[in-house]
Amino acid sequence: MLRFLLTSLLLLSLAACAGGNRFVLLEEEDGSVGAITVANDAGAQTVDQPGTVTQVASATAAPSAPEEISQEEIDKTWGASLQASPLKPRSFLLYFITGTDILTQASRQQLPEILASIREYPAPEVTVTGHTDTTGSAARNARLALDRAEAVRGLLIDAGLDPALIEVTSHGEDNLLVQTPDDVDEPRNRRVEVQVR
Amino acid sequence: MRALRSIIAATRVAPVALLALLVGTAGAAAQTLPEQVALVKVVDGQAFALRADERSELGIGEPIFIEDVVETEAGSVGLTFKDGSRISIGPNSRVQFSDFAFAPTEGRLSFIIDFFRGTLLYVSGVIAKLSPDAVKVRTPVATVAVRGTRFLAEVEGD
Repeated sequence: MLRFLLTSLLLLSLAACAGGNRFVLLEEEDGSVGAITVANDAGAQTVDQPGTVTQVASATAAPSAPEEISQEEIDKTWGASLQASPLKPRSFLLYFITGTDILTQASRQQLPEILASIREYPAPEVTVTGHTDTTGSAARNARLALDRAEAVRGLLIDAGLDPALIEVTSHGEDNLLVQTPDDVDEPRNRRVEVQVR
Repeated sequence: MRALRSIIAATRVAPVALLALLVGTAGAAAQTLPEQVALVKVVDGQAFALRADERSELGIGEPIFIEDVVETEAGSVGLTFKDGSRISIGPNSRVQFSDFAFAPTEGRLSFIIDFFRGTLLYVSGVIAKLSPDAVKVRTPVATVAVRGTRFLAEVEGD
C-alpha cells in the first residue's frame, strides 16, 4: 500500500511538471477556430477552445480535461516551431467570361499581383487548379476545369512565370467554393484557383 | 497528386507517355520514384531527412517524399505541403510523413503524420478542409484527429 501511494505520488508529481505530452489548440491565422480530438485506448478529449491544452501522461492514461495554457509557456516550448513555420500560402481566384476561356477583366488584372506574390516565397511553387460548378457530369467537369486551368497556366507563363514552378490540376466539381446540391448553376464555383506557396 | 497527374497525362500528354513506355527503363524508373509531398521552406540550424537508410542534411527548396523521416538536433525546420498544409518542428524532434493523398476527383484524401518526439506546429491545408477525418497525427501516447485547424504538439518520445 505504501509503495502504491509513493508510486502514485511520483506519477502525480511527474504529471504536474511542465513538459511531457501536450496538445494545444490555436486560433487559425484568419481568426477561425477548429478542433482537435486527442484519443488513446484509455479515453478521448476534444479541444475546441484556442489557447487550451490537453496532457497525456502515457499511452494507457486518458488525455486530461483541457485547461488554459499561457502564451509564455507556448513560446517557451514551441518558440522554435512557431518561428520555423513557413509563410502562409496565398490563393487567388480567377473567373472567366461565361462560356469562354477568356478571363474577366477583373481577374486579368490580378495576374501582376500573383507574379509579385510569388517573389515573396522561398523556393516558390504554384498550383493552378480548375474548378466547376455541379452542372453536368463529374467527368465532363473534371475535363472542363482542366481546360480552364491550362488556359491560366498559359497566361502566367506569358506574364513571365517560370513554367517549371507551375503544376496544373483539376478538382472538377469536388471542391466547391459555395456548397450546392448536384446540377446547380453557380458562377462562383466556376473558377480557377492559383495557389502560391 | 500523382493520380491527378496521370489524368493529365492521359488527356494531354499521351504521346509523351507512349514515348516513356518506348524508352522503357527510364520511364519505369520515373514511375517508381516516391511521390513528392512537400518542400522545405525554412531551416534554422540543421535538419535532416532519413530516406532509404540515407541521412542527408536538408536545405531550403528540397523535396520531401512520402515515408521520409525528418529530424532535428539543435535546429528547426518548416515544410509546406502540396495542399498548403504546413508543418514545422523544433529541436530534438522526429516526424514521419506516412501517407499523403490529395486527389479530390478520385475521392482520395489522406494525411497521416507519425510524430515520434519533440515539438511540432501543424497548420491545416486543403485536405483537412475537404475531408475532416483525413488528417491524423499519431504519437506514441495518443492519436490526434484534426478538424481543420492550427495546433501545437509536444511529445516526450523515448
